[in-house]
Amino acid sequence: MVQPAVIATDALPPLPAIIIIYIGTVFHHYNQQNNFAQCYWNWTLQTRATQTSSLETLEIDRRKTHHTNPYAMENPAWHDDRAGQRHPPGGHSGTDDATGRVPGGWQDQSWRGTESIPMDPMSAGAEGPSRQHDLIHSTFQNHPDSHERSSSTQLPSLISGNTTLRWRGVAMRRISLFPNADPSCVELTEEAIRNEMENEEQDLVKELVALSTRERIRAIQDLPMSFGEKKHIRSQVLAFKSSTKSQQFTCFADCSENMSLTFRRCGYSVKSARQTLQLWQGIMKEISGKFGTSVLSYFLFLKWLLMFNIFSFLINFGFITIPLLVYDVSPNVPPNMSFRGLEILTGVGYFNYTVMYYGGYSNETIVGQVEYNMQLAYFFTIAVYMVLCGIVLIFSMAISFKENYVLADAASESAWQLLCSWDFSITSERAVRLRKNNLRVQLKESLSEKTQRTRLTLSVKLKHFGVYLGSWLLSTSLALGCGASIYYLCLYEQQKTTDTENWTLLQEAETLLVPFVVSLMNLVVPLFYSLFNKFEHYSSHRRQIYALVVRNVFLKMSILGVLCYYWMNVVAKKFSCWESMVGQALYRLVIFDFFFLMLGSFFGEFLSNVIGTRLLPRIGVPEFDVARNVLELIYAQTLAWIGIYFSPLLPAIQIIKFFILFYLKKVSLTQNCQPPRRTGRAAQMQTIFIALLFFPFFVGALSMVAYISWSLTPSERCGPFRGLSNSFSVVIVWIHHLEGIPGSQWVIWIYRHVIRSEIFYFIITLIILIIIYIFWQVTRGRKELIALLRQQIVNEGKDKTFLLDKLQNLQKSKPKKPSKQMNQKKHTKHSSGSQSNSSAVAQVLLARQQFEGDEERRDVGGVPVPADISTSSALIQALMARQRAEDLDENVYQKPDNNTSSSSTFAQAMHDRERAKSHGRDDHYTPSGFSENPTNGSSALLQAMQARQRAEQDRGDYAHDLPSSVSGVMQAKQRAEEEDGIQWTAAPSLNPAPPGSSALIQAMLARQQAQNEFDDGY
Amino acid sequence: MGTSTSQLSKEDVSEYQELTFLTKQEILLAHKRFVELHEDKKNPPDTRHFRLTMDKIVKLPELQCNPFRDRICHVFSTSEQKDGSLTFEDFLDLLSAFSDSATLEIKSHYAFRIFDFDGDGTLGCADLEKLVNCLTGETDDTRLTSEEMRQLINNILEESDIDKDGTVNLSEFQHVISRSPDFVSSFKIVL
Repeated sequence: MVQPAVIATDALPPLPAIIIIYIGTVFHHYNQQNNFAQCYWNWTLQTRATQTSSLETLEIDRRKTHHTNPYAMENPAWHDDRAGQRHPPGGHSGTDDATGRVPGGWQDQSWRGTESIPMDPMSAGAEGPSRQHDLIHSTFQNHPDSHERSSSTQLPSLISGNTTLRWRGVAMRRISLFPNADPSCVELTEEAIRNEMENEEQDLVKELVALSTRERIRAIQDLPMSFGEKKHIRSQVLAFKSSTKSQQFTCFADCSENMSLTFRRCGYSVKSARQTLQLWQGIMKEISGKFGTSVLSYFLFLKWLLMFNIFSFLINFGFITIPLLVYDVSPNVPPNMSFRGLEILTGVGYFNYTVMYYGGYSNETIVGQVEYNMQLAYFFTIAVYMVLCGIVLIFSMAISFKENYVLADAASESAWQLLCSWDFSITSERAVRLRKNNLRVQLKESLSEKTQRTRLTLSVKLKHFGVYLGSWLLSTSLALGCGASIYYLCLYEQQKTTDTENWTLLQEAETLLVPFVVSLMNLVVPLFYSLFNKFEHYSSHRRQIYALVVRNVFLKMSILGVLCYYWMNVVAKKFSCWESMVGQALYRLVIFDFFFLMLGSFFGEFLSNVIGTRLLPRIGVPEFDVARNVLELIYAQTLAWIGIYFSPLLPAIQIIKFFILFYLKKVSLTQNCQPPRRTGRAAQMQTIFIALLFFPFFVGALSMVAYISWSLTPSERCGPFRGLSNSFSVVIVWIHHLEGIPGSQWVIWIYRHVIRSEIFYFIITLIILIIIYIFWQVTRGRKELIALLRQQIVNEGKDKTFLLDKLQNLQKSKPKKPSKQMNQKKHTKHSSGSQSNSSAVAQVLLARQQFEGDEERRDVGGVPVPADISTSSALIQALMARQRAEDLDENVYQKPDNNTSSSSTFAQAMHDRERAKSHGRDDHYTPSGFSENPTNGSSALLQAMQARQRAEQDRGDYAHDLPSSVSGVMQAKQRAEEEDGIQWTAAPSLNPAPPGSSALIQAMLARQQAQNEFDDGY
Repeated sequence: MGTSTSQLSKEDVSEYQELTFLTKQEILLAHKRFVELHEDKKNPPDTRHFRLTMDKIVKLPELQCNPFRDRICHVFSTSEQKDGSLTFEDFLDLLSAFSDSATLEIKSHYAFRIFDFDGDGTLGCADLEKLVNCLTGETDDTRLTSEEMRQLINNILEESDIDKDGTVNLSEFQHVISRSPDFVSSFKIVL
């Protein structure tokens, strides 16, 4: 929404200034559009709020840079560079003059930096400072009334959090810029800025006071200001608060204040304590300092899994093992059983009689001071742990997806992505150097990819397709083959093992065969997969990694699936205490997995480092393969999850394993590896890994445990569930037992009507489906809205280019104008002409936007009001306004001449501007007030007219208000309005064509745009 | 050694906690490091008003290798002389913006200011060129050729310059940042 104020304010400084202001406003518009999706209804208000500040911000911004830019090119012509740079590539057709001034055009020159660009003859040099002063004056003088309106009345509670954030950003900018003011015009600037600052600040303080304490602290933390400023704001808020407090002091308020303070203190200390307890902080920092965040993500993942295991160990040990140990300390080991040492590997023998496995737990109700039902404890501990794991996984997955996927750019490896992912945490000189090199290579690659995205010939495509097909077939069959061979190996082993208690050492050692083969497969087959990967030609690195990950996941799934099948269908039927047998098998798998992980890092990293450095330097030092290592972790964790039912203390083994692995990997990493060559996408990979951990691995483990407890008969001779038809019947028995106890009716009711009732699950499923459907629809709506808003931004951009072109054209024709016309009266006339021009332009935009807004409102609200009337009338209005703008436009080119003339012109012009600004604000707010009224069907038309009328009126008011010294300006301006055509007839030979034809073009353009928007809307 | 002047009072710490994203430990550690950077062991500085010069700040191992170290100092400095010197509070500001718990809004805001080399409020072509040079190495043999640079900057603008004005402004930049998920995890400096 471009308001008259915005343009009129800067009507005086030459082209670049206008451009900058214009751009600023358009962009603030864009900001608001971002918010739009979330708080549509606040839109109009927001716009108002930001608009005012955007203008001033920009002004100050500019001034600041002009005077005290620390990076300074001493060149005051930066303005012109910017102007040069800002010409969009598309708008080149009409910029001959600009190209003349900037040799080679911006594409060749301006991007190279400022040093090579000659000054703009029009706005540089001596004119610079005077314009500056002018700016300052106007800022200063317009301030009081403009601010009263803008801030105190325009920022009521309606403004959403989103807006305030934006707005605050703007406010901050201004405030933080204050100390940068140039000493040369310090008196004026300082005062002006200080006034503004105070106003901004007061608004901010008012906003903050309205918030609750917690929110306020959060909001203050979120202010992008320097510390001192935040402190100032805070003290102001507190002062304000206490002053209002004293009026309405109550004991309750005081109490609650104290309470919240205590809570806050508590919160801080908890946060601090958590940080102190953070494991391996120093190591993490070292790793990220040397290898960057992508490698760090592996270690974070490892730590996260470790936390899972610690939690599971704590609850298993606390609720299952300790009660049993308290009740009966000595394990009931047969007397002839001795500890032979091999048990550590195999987990059989001595361990079989301890609390390590399922078989070691009793089914009794322990009667001490309280009764403790072991069966129930075992069942509920495992169930609760699995459910909690599931919830944690789902939440972290959802958060991760939200942060890393929903918003992420679809286009892979775009330049910004590379630039933004620079690791600020890197602290080693070597890593920085490597990273710079890698980044350069990646940037070059992305460039060459963009330029030579050649069409592949059919034969090449077929070849690629063949390779894909072949490698997928090969890898799939490898995975299946592995699964099948493990199954047969298990069957073979099972035939040999017997149920006897006393195994010979050889028998015991034979049990190690299966875990050995499984772990070996897990180590070797992925290497084959990496080999296949070398022959495939994936278009992007990411796809390559995904293919590798999918294949590995498939392999691990097939192995685990076969093992589970074997345990549930073969082992469960043969052995008398089959749960313990499965527990042992899992124990062996976990242990062997650990050994092979160590071997893997030895072969994978140490050996290839030796080969890379000593034997074949061509290969080079290996990189840390995050994907492979994370998959290994996921596999290890899945084993622990499956094993939790059969061996409740398996998490303890897992904790030790992960703990050692962490240090091992860290040493291996720092000794053998180099920082990764490819950067980026680390966050997304992490999301994928969490998702993989959840599905299929966690879900698989959960369903297996659930299947076992619901469908399989527990062994009759050992374990907590002996004698039951399945583990779940523990709950049934318990409920029966409860029926006898009065006061526990609700438990029974819940059991009967919730847990055991199909209708409950049916209804729940239905409700969830409905909710999902609704959210899906909402998402679709939002997507449409986003597309719409994007289109709007593009349209704004087009608008801007168009105006820039226009201004360029006018500037171009300026030197042809005979200089004799340049008397003072003319100057003022022109300046006012340009002013009215700009306000007219603003009106067009205003009208356009309002009708757009209207359309959208209708769109969003879903009310099928036919838009034709208001659209077309708004269109007409826009056309008219635009044409008028067009007519007045011609005056603009003379505007720079003001700068060369005497200071009285400046004074006048300044007043002029100041007036315009305040009037502009009127314009600004009145129509917005209307737009708040949603019932107004054809409000676009009305508003546009209002805006125009008001602009006209303002100009009328102006005449009455102005002191005599400026009345000349007024008259001149009025005449300028009348003389629009005449003026051009005065010099018809010079510029006959532009007004007419360009007006036509403009009208057409406007129509087309309006049409576009109309189409987009529907 | 006059520890009384160099120690932070309890009120100060709680105020710092309230105004930054840092925890108590981080604040105390930051204080320790800040005092250490001031090499004059005899006279520990009064941290409330003392300014560490930029050369001393960039000696911090966490900043030493950062290609943006000078920019970071300048952005966070509240010095009137524009010399990039930092008070302790500025230093806390820096750490707060680069901490784990800082919001994307804050991070992207400061990233923008760091990347805005000429400080004009937008990332123009010159800024982008400097940025790329900063990230790929400044020496002649590592620098991108001018043709590549031009193309790259065109790509960048094409990608992010939604309103086609030839520069990337704060909101456009934040839009870009919100779509690159790696930014938050990599825009981080921990003491």
